[in-house]
Amino acid sequence: MKKKINGQKIIMYVLLILTASVFAAPMLFTLLSSIKNKVEIFADPFALPEIPQWGNYAEAWTNANMSHYFLNSVIQAGATVIVLAIVSSMAAYVLSRFQFKWSKGMLLFFMVGMMVPVHTVLVPVSYIIGALNLKNNVAALVMIYVAFNLPFSILVVTNFMKGVNKSLEEAALIDGASYFQIYRYVMLPMTVPALSTISIFNFLGAWNNILFPLLFINDKKLKPIALGLLNFNGERGSDYGPLMAAIVITVAVPLVIYLLFQEKVEGGLAAGAVKE
Amino acid sequence: MITIKSKKTKMGVLLFIVPALVIYLLFQIIPIIGSVYFSLVNWNGIAGSTPQFVGLQNYIAAFKSADFILALKNMASMVIISVLFHTPIALLMAVAINTKCKGYRLFKALFFVPTVFPLTAVGLMWYFIFMPTGSFNSLLEAVGLSSLVTPWLVEPSTAMNTIIFVNVWAGVGYYMVIILAGLTTIPDDVYEAAAIDGATPVKRFFHITIPMLKPILSMCILMDIIGSVKVFDLVFAMTGGGPNGLTNLPTTLMYNEAFKYNHYGVGSAIGIIIMLICIAGTLGSNFLTGRKKDV
Repeated sequence: MKKKINGQKIIMYVLLILTASVFAAPMLFTLLSSIKNKVEIFADPFALPEIPQWGNYAEAWTNANMSHYFLNSVIQAGATVIVLAIVSSMAAYVLSRFQFKWSKGMLLFFMVGMMVPVHTVLVPVSYIIGALNLKNNVAALVMIYVAFNLPFSILVVTNFMKGVNKSLEEAALIDGASYFQIYRYVMLPMTVPALSTISIFNFLGAWNNILFPLLFINDKKLKPIALGLLNFNGERGSDYGPLMAAIVITVAVPLVIYLLFQEKVEGGLAAGAVKE
Repeated sequence: MITIKSKKTKMGVLLFIVPALVIYLLFQIIPIIGSVYFSLVNWNGIAGSTPQFVGLQNYIAAFKSADFILALKNMASMVIISVLFHTPIALLMAVAINTKCKGYRLFKALFFVPTVFPLTAVGLMWYFIFMPTGSFNSLLEAVGLSSLVTPWLVEPSTAMNTIIFVNVWAGVGYYMVIILAGLTTIPDDVYEAAAIDGATPVKRFFHITIPMLKPILSMCILMDIIGSVKVFDLVFAMTGGGPNGLTNLPTTLMYNEAFKYNHYGVGSAIGIIIMLICIAGTLGSNFLTGRKKDV
């Protein structure tokens, strides 16, 4: 009996390690190649470089403008996170606490957006952007990110607020606080766990998006990092070392966010999925 | 629920929802209606020109074009192969990780981390690996399989499947995490009772784990169907639809039609078709899982 269990364990480990190598290999290859020269990249994919080519990173960061793209993405994703936290928590406060004529229908109405594929609405959205003369307008890009992440954010925050105990609010109301004060000083602080969950997802969503900047940003100075990376590849597709460094720079931020907030990312994903 | 006393404060509170509503209406609801309109007109995207109403012509044009039929076929392979691999592999990964074996945290992080990366970066990463002179081909040569060496993303017979492989690789961790959350809801005593009754681990897997996870597994499959229909970034980064448009999906074709060739009508029609496919996928899988419940 004991032998059999050990046998199964060994099989499981072998399979796990095999699968893990399929996952680790491409990432390791990219990481190693980012400090190699062209010849070394193709000579032996998993060998260490003779002399680490840290210059690849300098090349990508300054000459290939990755530093600009990086900063643009920090600004665009950061603004998206802040606007969404404010706008969705305000809406969620109304949806979770007040009954009015269409309060139930309103939440459902906000969920419609989650079911519509982005590509379905691309032509009208670009028509609106064109008609309002909002091409190369970062604020407009942020508003689009906000609009497309709004349904998920409102859903998560509203569900969370519904579970928050009402006694504090009632006490504040008796003390003469206005609804805005209650929202600002009672509700918001208690909703921080939900707000941090949506903020992580909203940040990653904006950081990883290419479709909207592809359509609405053609000024090179305003492009975000995922698009800048493609640009770099399009312009200097054979500068493999610096390109690999640029890939590492692009994925570094999502990687760090995941490592820092592992539980939140996984928990948020599972909660969002299970509730649907 | 707070009951609102005066009409004035009621209006004041309701103002809180206005910012969300305005942004949502402008960039989501109006465009949904707009896309139906644009799919029924002929318009070249030039501001001065007036769109002409053409009825269902754009839809007919889409279905008559060989490119679109090919894109639909590619989409079907993308959906079928992704569904066949994602959920089963994710389930096995989740079960293995749920044993809390040594190093399980590292395995979990490794499988999950590609899902937080931009798909453009993931696509480029694999693009360099599958290049004609790339490391996958040199690996094949190193292990004596040089007969299999091929320009993976250039060769028409392998290009689409290579992209589908990367989609499977990049997405499996997502489903693993969801299934893992489901596994923790199965009470331990169910397994213990089965073990006492002499059920082998394999039997327990098929007779306890899978039936108890059924709602989560079917939801993963549904999300996978919709997610695979919507793949865009990977194709855009890896082949741009090439060679010769052979790796186009409806999404990339829609992008090209509307924004490369200014065929806004056909582009919108394809956009609506993509939505209808997603709705059909949802209804279809709800129907299948709903029926299984009755049996």
